Amino acid sequence: MSSSSFEDEPSVASTSQTSDATTTPTLHSSAPPLPAVTTSSSNVGSGDAMAASSSSSSSSSLDSQIERLKRCEYLKENEVKNLCLRAREILVDEGNVQRVDAPVTICGDIHGQFYDLVELFKVGGECPDKNYLFLGDFVDRGYYSVETFLLLLALKVRYPDRITLIRGNHESRQITQVYGFYDECLRKYGSVNVWRYCTEIFDYLSLSAIIEDKIFTVHGGLSPSINTLDQIRVIDRKQEVPHDGAMCDLMWSDPEEIDGWGLSPRGAGYLFGGDVVAMFNERNDLDLIARAHQLVMEGYRSMFNDALVTVWSAPNYCYRCGNVASILELDENLGKSFKIFDAAPNEARGVPVKNPPPDYFL
Amino acid sequence: MRCVNCPVRMNPSEMPSIAETGTIIGSPKATPDNYAPIIPPVPFEDPPPVVIDGEEALRQIEHLRSDDVSLRISAARKLTTISAALGPDRTREELLPFLSDGVDDEDEVLESIAASLGELIPFVGSTPKKNYGSSLLGPLELLLAVEENAVREKAAESAIKVANSLGDEEYRVQFVGMIGRLANKEWFTARIAGCGLIPVAFGRMGAELQSTHIQYFANLCRDEAPMVRRIASRNLGSLIYAVAESMGLSSIAENGPISTTLLDLLEVLAGGDQPDSVRLHTTENCVCFGNAMTLLRGKNASDQSIMDQNEEFITTRSTALVKRILPLIVATIDDRSWRVRWTAASKFASVVQAFSPFKGTMDALVPAYEKLLQDPEAEVRTSAALNLAEVAKTDSKVYPAGLITEDVMDCSEDDSGSQERRVSVAERLAQRVMALTEDDSENVRAALAMVATELAPLLGKDVTITHLLPPMLLLLRDSTSEVRLNIISSLSLLTDVIGDELLSQSLFPAILELAEDGKWRIRMAVIERMPLLAKQLGKDFFNDKLLELCVGWLGDDISSIREAAAKNLKELTSLLGSEWAIQHLLPRVKAMMENPSYLRRMNAVQGIVYMATAMDINNAQLEALPILLEMACDTVPNVRFNVAKGLGIVGPLFNQFVYESQIIPILALLKDDPDRDVRYFASQASDSLRNVFDREL
Repeated sequence: MSSSSFEDEPSVASTSQTSDATTTPTLHSSAPPLPAVTTSSSNVGSGDAMAASSSSSSSSSLDSQIERLKRCEYLKENEVKNLCLRAREILVDEGNVQRVDAPVTICGDIHGQFYDLVELFKVGGECPDKNYLFLGDFVDRGYYSVETFLLLLALKVRYPDRITLIRGNHESRQITQVYGFYDECLRKYGSVNVWRYCTEIFDYLSLSAIIEDKIFTVHGGLSPSINTLDQIRVIDRKQEVPHDGAMCDLMWSDPEEIDGWGLSPRGAGYLFGGDVVAMFNERNDLDLIARAHQLVMEGYRSMFNDALVTVWSAPNYCYRCGNVASILELDENLGKSFKIFDAAPNEARGVPVKNPPPDYFL
Repeated sequence: MRCVNCPVRMNPSEMPSIAETGTIIGSPKATPDNYAPIIPPVPFEDPPPVVIDGEEALRQIEHLRSDDVSLRISAARKLTTISAALGPDRTREELLPFLSDGVDDEDEVLESIAASLGELIPFVGSTPKKNYGSSLLGPLELLLAVEENAVREKAAESAIKVANSLGDEEYRVQFVGMIGRLANKEWFTARIAGCGLIPVAFGRMGAELQSTHIQYFANLCRDEAPMVRRIASRNLGSLIYAVAESMGLSSIAENGPISTTLLDLLEVLAGGDQPDSVRLHTTENCVCFGNAMTLLRGKNASDQSIMDQNEEFITTRSTALVKRILPLIVATIDDRSWRVRWTAASKFASVVQAFSPFKGTMDALVPAYEKLLQDPEAEVRTSAALNLAEVAKTDSKVYPAGLITEDVMDCSEDDSGSQERRVSVAERLAQRVMALTEDDSENVRAALAMVATELAPLLGKDVTITHLLPPMLLLLRDSTSEVRLNIISSLSLLTDVIGDELLSQSLFPAILELAEDGKWRIRMAVIERMPLLAKQLGKDFFNDKLLELCVGWLGDDISSIREAAAKNLKELTSLLGSEWAIQHLLPRVKAMMENPSYLRRMNAVQGIVYMATAMDINNAQLEALPILLEMACDTVPNVRFNVAKGLGIVGPLFNQFVYESQIIPILALLKDDPDRDVRYFASQASDSLRNVFDREL
């Protein structure tokens, strides 16, 4: 656990170890305290016990980071770096079609609306008590992309089996430079390092997920170059979102009441019709495709005889669209229930601290 | 970038800034708690033993000169470290001049320096003959004149701290001298700082300087810059109080400073030709005046020997002065700026409190208050309505509404005939409540619903039933859910006075409607009030009507509601007893354990855990624990790790035998679970229980 030496947050489990170090008289009082791991190796004989203690120390410091993020405080730059390193270790092992067990709650676009994400957890239940699958587009447009993405990522690192994150078209270097995440990182950290760490992690996010082999979830939709799930599984996903091709289509396409395939007005991906969905579901033995990517005023919309559903989880999108949001709860028998929710009320939002008017302005 | 920790910025509407208000009615300044003082500022003592870390100090000095703002800020917060290393002489001769040179730095750096300077008192040295604390006033004086308000506030706090450590002579020469210079500086920000500090220093400055500084303050009140007049206006009340406190009865004599100068200033600043931000402080200043009069009376009463001869003097003088003040207060009610009226409305309870000792004032103030309740702006009416109960609590009497409209300014003694016709303020205001229930603004009605029941104890049973109950019943049927919620939450005061029979019939439909409100936060609020209602309404009513609701919430769509409902089971169990819970709640929870959805089973686990913690030990062991243990075999890992968490919570309730024979085996099972989170929470629970039980052995 090289990571624990990065931790600068005090953690419950490690205090007992470091207190040994501080009570020992040292000659150089200005020298930094020794890292917990080096002191414990001399005291603790059993390697197993050490591994256990260092993993619990990292999880408790992670717990305190999660607590801070839930209060919408963003992490320090080196904490973000460390978090991303650990996230990469977890995400690199996930497949392009990540397997997810029911019960799970499916959520659509969040777009940096941090307080609405907090509302979402109030409506759906906290992670890890409930399992979550987020369909991408965590960042851009809202005021709190940094806090939103870092909270989800920290939960992923802390509870890898309880939360799944897949990639949306906004998890991309190019798009985030236009729609706000880049500027937000620059404003909040004074440099683009955090943006760089996060966009590197974007490349590791899975492309899609499959729940109990029956429900296929993806951010955008289907691709004409993909007929089977196995064709997704062989994509090399560790790259910036390309301008065309299968990986691009999965994040950019939209369903439409047409036959076959159509050109997308978005300039990337395709439009696909009910027949395409029916064929894809049939071929891959699926019951349902759940996707996000499109604003739905009523929170969710089923199409093509319930063969596809769009889930949208950003209420009052961009703080002005007036839409409601939804999440899709699947129980352990894949029973579906949609939960609709509104934007968090103002008193639940941290009101941005306003500077009082200067004295000469009456 | 501004400092977000500064408490002053959190509430711009109130703006209780220290530099500007000086003191809160004469009380010593509390240390702000947003930064912990590293060294307690105890004057005339040796610096506490701090391990002097030379390297660290050098690094901080380096940082003070750094190009990086954040480094300069953090170094500015650690001035104590630097001066501890430098020693008192070099701190005075090198550090303080260096700090005085840099007042054109970033605001945040200056703010940190200003705060730190107050901590440096023990570090600048003191000898029995000379206390060098005043050397800190040099850089502080410069900081008190900078443009940024937050910096001046911190500098003022520190300057007051420094001044309190000085001897009388130095206090007058150095501190008061500084204030005098600030008050007459060319740049207006310095004069603003002067406005705040004059009331603070008034008590200790000595008679001669006092009259000079009242004159300075009078000049500030007539300053050509409206921003200076605004701050002067904000501090005038504190000054009046300080003058009364320091000069005693002579201050209100016919030639005393309050009668001659300060009341004139109050009238000038309340004048219609002033900007509304200046007039805004009229209400507060009048309150301060009232409090100052009360203070003088109190002081007099404590001194028996001269009491009688002075009593008459006080009464005559204060009556004369109150006569001048009352029109100012009444004028704020009709001010053309709604901000002024809003301020008057929000502070009206303090106004009434401050002036109730003066006979007859209520005959002017209560009609004024009633006018605020009918203000054209809903914000003003809301703010006034919130004060209803506090205003009504005054024990002065007033003429009933409509009986008298003339002579309201007459504060003279009443003849006994009119005294008989007078009623309590609460009684007069109770007749206004009905009209308020028909207000167009739901905010006004919500505010009314929050406070109106507080009138009941003041009115007594009969008047409550005739005047208060009908509007309360209307509020229970209000179209806005917030209004109904507020009235339900405050009903206990009403039921205490008139009993609950008259209410329960109207109450139940209102609760039922709220319990099914579309907004989940309303449902949440109702759940949170359930234990209170159960207590008020008794077991029978609860069993009949509310039990179903409480159990029903366990199946709500919204997770937070289900959790609150589970938590509620604990409250209900401790309120109505274990037996009751086993009979009424447990079967419902048991049924939820069988629910096909893990969401419900999770809530059942939470509910059982909550109930167990409120049950007596036997029932917890026989009824609750077995159910919990059984759930450890659930198919869904989330349920299993919640069982583990729950065992960690309820475990300490039981004895060693139960722990070893029942809980340990299940936790051992969970520690071998295929799911890593189940294993994690099981070992957490098992560790914490081991700590509990091993300690007992």
